[in-house]
Amino acid sequence: MRIELQGVRHVYAPGTSFAVEALKGVSLSVEPGEVLGVIGGTGSGKSTLVQHLNLLLVPTAGRVLVDGKDALSLDRSELRRRVGLVFQSPEQALFAPTVEEDVAFAPQRLGLGEEEVRERVGETLELLGAGHLAARSPFALSGGEKRRVAIAGVLAMGPEVLVLDEPTAGLDPHARSDLIYLVGRLKASGMTVVFVSHDLDEVAEVADGVCVLEGGEVRSIGHPAEVFYGDPSMAPATVRVAAALGVSRPSLGTPVRYGETLAALRRVLGAAP
Amino acid sequence: MADPTSISCEHLTFSYPGAAELALSDVSLKIPPGQYVGVVGPNGGGKSTLVRLLNGLLTADSGRVQVAGLDPATEPFEVRRLVGVLFQNPDNGLVAPFVEDDVAFGLENLGVERAEMRERVREAIASVGLAGYERREPHTLSGGEKQRVALAGLLAVRPEVLLLDEPTAMLDAAGREEVLSRVRDLAGSRTVLHVTHHLQELFDADRVLVLNGGRLAADTTPLELFSDAELLRENRLVLPTVPKLAADLGLPFCRTPEELAAAVARRSRDGVQAR
Repeated sequence: MRIELQGVRHVYAPGTSFAVEALKGVSLSVEPGEVLGVIGGTGSGKSTLVQHLNLLLVPTAGRVLVDGKDALSLDRSELRRRVGLVFQSPEQALFAPTVEEDVAFAPQRLGLGEEEVRERVGETLELLGAGHLAARSPFALSGGEKRRVAIAGVLAMGPEVLVLDEPTAGLDPHARSDLIYLVGRLKASGMTVVFVSHDLDEVAEVADGVCVLEGGEVRSIGHPAEVFYGDPSMAPATVRVAAALGVSRPSLGTPVRYGETLAALRRVLGAAP
Repeated sequence: MADPTSISCEHLTFSYPGAAELALSDVSLKIPPGQYVGVVGPNGGGKSTLVRLLNGLLTADSGRVQVAGLDPATEPFEVRRLVGVLFQNPDNGLVAPFVEDDVAFGLENLGVERAEMRERVREAIASVGLAGYERREPHTLSGGEKQRVALAGLLAVRPEVLLLDEPTAMLDAAGREEVLSRVRDLAGSRTVLHVTHHLQELFDADRVLVLNGGRLAADTTPLELFSDAELLRENRLVLPTVPKLAADLGLPFCRTPEELAAAVARRSRDGVQAR
């Protein structure tokens, strides 16, 4: 499924003295099978933007197209099943006595049979490395486990696009790398992922495309190497090292991910990569 | 204060009601006044429990705590005058309609005289770089600004000890830098205990405590911690990208991308030829 935003504007509380224009005409597309990283500071419009992908927010002006069709013409609940949105701090929405029941909530609402629900819940928890937690209370889990269970609750609906809004905020470094690894596995399984973060280093590890928002507008968009090397002030540490060194060494190339950068620096040092 | 030790814990042990495992187990340490101490370790390691024992929100099962010469368990109100705590989420701590009222809140509770209160509030707001924000409403501020308002509220009370419990966890890069640079300004003038998951925030710390499974797994310096791969791994700590690249390349510790780029250039063969 391909989602396209065309000149999307969004004004909160329009027509009042509190009106705020959070998006000022944003155009971009989410291509099937890609991991799109959306980055930008607090207040840049990231969360407002992603809520347009499944029409939780309706644009004040502009259009959202799903496979070329105006999203407003589509069935809203079906759209929200196909585009699964995981909010910031999603563990706050955990509510059931056990992990299994919590993850089963959405598939049950979809009207699936008991057997199929159980199967889906099992598969989803397995995929997230949380199978062993099925019978536990979601409230007695660690921060990273809770986060994964909350994501499982959205994945169990069988979405085509998964939108993660700041999925690593507040987690310890290991839980963060687990989540980044998970995004890689979802991509490998054919899922389209929109990954919102203000941590450039983690976006660099997973994104096929990057969109930088600033003040409600797209500041740059494209392949990570293009975007980051075009403006090293908004780039992850790997790119800043290579950019600082690369001026005199074109052979360094434009590495973005950690492994690529390490290999490129080793080449410069004259060691076997 | 005459007491040469700002924070002292002896065989501190604590468990939460109903929990099978100890949240803190036999932790002993002494921190002299003015030291800047980082606290790191995995989730559930005991970091926040330690902070809560130091200001009397929790009471130890056994062992002794002293902060600025006082026992927080028996004299919590005295201790809280001397110890300011900055928590993760600034939205939970801001109470008043305007920035200046919020910063004055602690002083009002202490019954500080009005003229002095005005002066201290002005000073505290200026010291976190928010002069001119006095009449702003806290809910209109960015996360970094809110967290600095909360910090100003602590500083106005002039605490001897500051406990920072993941103060940047909810902030973006810009907000994080705003808060950290203000915190760094305080180094030396007060005792600071700074709990964080981000090792890069502790490059300048005098000392780092590693808490894991309720135990004090290490009491060391940032440089030693960063160069001890074993210690990092055992405690689920991850080096920031730049020092990690430096370590993987066999280069000495580097903190900024520019430093690392320069180190690579110096070491590289073509760099040598160019010279």
